[in-house]
Amino acid sequence: MGTDADRATDNKVNRKRAERRDWYQLDLSAIVYPTLQRRDFSSVYRLSVVLKEDVRPQVLQQALDLTLPRFPTYKAAIRKGLFWRYLEPNDRPGPFVQEDVKNPCQPMYFKANNRYLVRVYYFRNRIALEAHHSLGDGTGGMCVLQTLTATYLRLLGHEGIENGGFVLDIHETPGEGELEDAYMRYANAKVHPPRPEEKAYRVRGTPEPFYTLNIIDGIMSVSQVMGVAKKYHATVTEYLNAVLLYALLQKQQDDGRRRQRPVKIAMPVNLRRFFPSVTLRNFITMIYPGVDPRLGEYTFEEIVLQVHNYMRYHLNEKLLRGDITTNAATQRNPLIRVVPLFIKDLVVRMFYTRVQDRNSSAGLTNMGALEVPEGMKPFIERFDIYMGQPFSRRTNCAVISFEDILTVNFASSIAETDVERYFFRRLVQDGIHVKIESNR
Amino acid sequence: MSYCVNCGVELDASAEVCPLCGTPVLNPSDLKKIAEAQPPFPVEKSQVEAVKRKDLGVLLTIVVLAVAAVCVILNVCVFRENLWSLAVVGACVILWVFLEPFVLYTGQPIYLSLLGDGAAVIFLLYMITFLTEDDGWFAGLGVPLTLLVTAVVELFVLCIRRLPRSFLTAALYFFTAVGLLCAGIEFLTDRYVDGAVSLRWSAVVLTVCGILDITVITLLSRKRLRDSVRRRLHF
Repeated sequence: MGTDADRATDNKVNRKRAERRDWYQLDLSAIVYPTLQRRDFSSVYRLSVVLKEDVRPQVLQQALDLTLPRFPTYKAAIRKGLFWRYLEPNDRPGPFVQEDVKNPCQPMYFKANNRYLVRVYYFRNRIALEAHHSLGDGTGGMCVLQTLTATYLRLLGHEGIENGGFVLDIHETPGEGELEDAYMRYANAKVHPPRPEEKAYRVRGTPEPFYTLNIIDGIMSVSQVMGVAKKYHATVTEYLNAVLLYALLQKQQDDGRRRQRPVKIAMPVNLRRFFPSVTLRNFITMIYPGVDPRLGEYTFEEIVLQVHNYMRYHLNEKLLRGDITTNAATQRNPLIRVVPLFIKDLVVRMFYTRVQDRNSSAGLTNMGALEVPEGMKPFIERFDIYMGQPFSRRTNCAVISFEDILTVNFASSIAETDVERYFFRRLVQDGIHVKIESNR
Repeated sequence: MSYCVNCGVELDASAEVCPLCGTPVLNPSDLKKIAEAQPPFPVEKSQVEAVKRKDLGVLLTIVVLAVAAVCVILNVCVFRENLWSLAVVGACVILWVFLEPFVLYTGQPIYLSLLGDGAAVIFLLYMITFLTEDDGWFAGLGVPLTLLVTAVVELFVLCIRRLPRSFLTAALYFFTAVGLLCAGIEFLTDRYVDGAVSLRWSAVVLTVCGILDITVITLLSRKRLRDSVRRRLHF
């Protein structure tokens, strides 16, 4: 966890209350997401909470109207400047809660939906929040969702739900620290380590129309998964990463191509774990655990060990600081800053499709074990998280756990389910009881 | 509570097949249960709002129409020397037909758009005939030349889209198209100007294109040659 100097500045930033601003700069990773926007793709993620009772839409709308003003960067519209895009407070009516649909995470056009980049859905006992990634990452979104849920439950008359953790006080003015671009505060390493760049194996499959999102959820017990992971001397994240790598290796073998490629997973790391910050904007970076089948055949134990060692080596404050600095270097370069936005868009999009997207075979994110205030626990059954539409044809996997329920949510835009099948069969083989739910 | 016989995972009560492997879930004594169970996800699909790209198309149409209308009115009421507004109307039609596939009917097949472009050019030429004394050139040269160019472009697009595509094959189609186009142009102009057809300058172009074509075909058919060229010219 960051240095003393880091902690001191963090305290200073957090104490300051934010004043209403006319605009917000996009944070470092938020710059990329709008660039990738296409007619059939947006970087949208979805977080949902499953309650124990059916949702009442009118009350949910009330709760949303009360909650969202507390999050100025979520009640915002994205606009184009000459050199960069920026966020602007959005005072138009909305967003409005709507009944859930079979195909979530549809593209989110900047000018549609009264310019809101947030959607809230309800379905039976589920509240779902979809947000554009340029507003913030999963942690920020989770704050919005949990605060919304707490407000909703309070409106229903449930007393004793305290603030704290992801639940913020909706009557409080947001702190400066919640709205800051935390990257810039920590991008201060003296060198820019190069980015790893190697083409990884890419899952090929039959593409579905863009408005389809095929979902497969696996629901299991945290203690069981933890037990199995311990047997391999790994953490739950490492174990699930290894299982996904194993599934991808199997799939590559199935494809029967002559030329094999390394199999890599793009895994976002929550930087708040390493650098003190309470920001609700993006504060993540990517790491790429993987194995290279060209070096020889990996047993499952070896894959787990490889992932375990990789994580141990890469997940520390020093290397992550270097990583942030590399990312920030391009944005700080004065020559790049003065290039008009449309040229930046062109270059970034090309870089992303040519390099960044080919750098990994699948995405996996682990929100970890979620905490909710004690008073809210009895009302909540479980949480779900979807990484949304993948940029290219592949499968994204997101993991979240609450109490003893661990959910692994696969979202893909291809018809084939090979990766998912190998993944869950491996879990079953290891003796984990898996329950499957799907919208297919 | 049912389990997939293949995957060993527990399935939702409403599942008719295993979502992972597609194996049907069938318990003959429990058929009613599946029908009664509620699926875990909503059934309704939704569609995002369409992007309003038509606005630009409407703007284009109005501007073009206004220009044409104003010119016609001026021609009829003020500047009555000759029928000059017809040429402006023709130019407006060309502008609209060329831009319309980008802003209005974006899904239109490219072949149809190209045909439309050819038709618009012929229309403009026809309008110009009202401004010239002799209109033999229209049927003798204008229409055949436009048809030739349209046909060659259509063929080129067809080859690019339907046949195997790479940098080399694209070059092959391009050189062939250029050769054909030049030969056609000289043939048509000769026939119009003095009735006798003799290929002179286009023969040079044809020869060059032919040599280039043969080179490309050789490169395409010999993998070893292609590889060695790539090796020596890589950058």
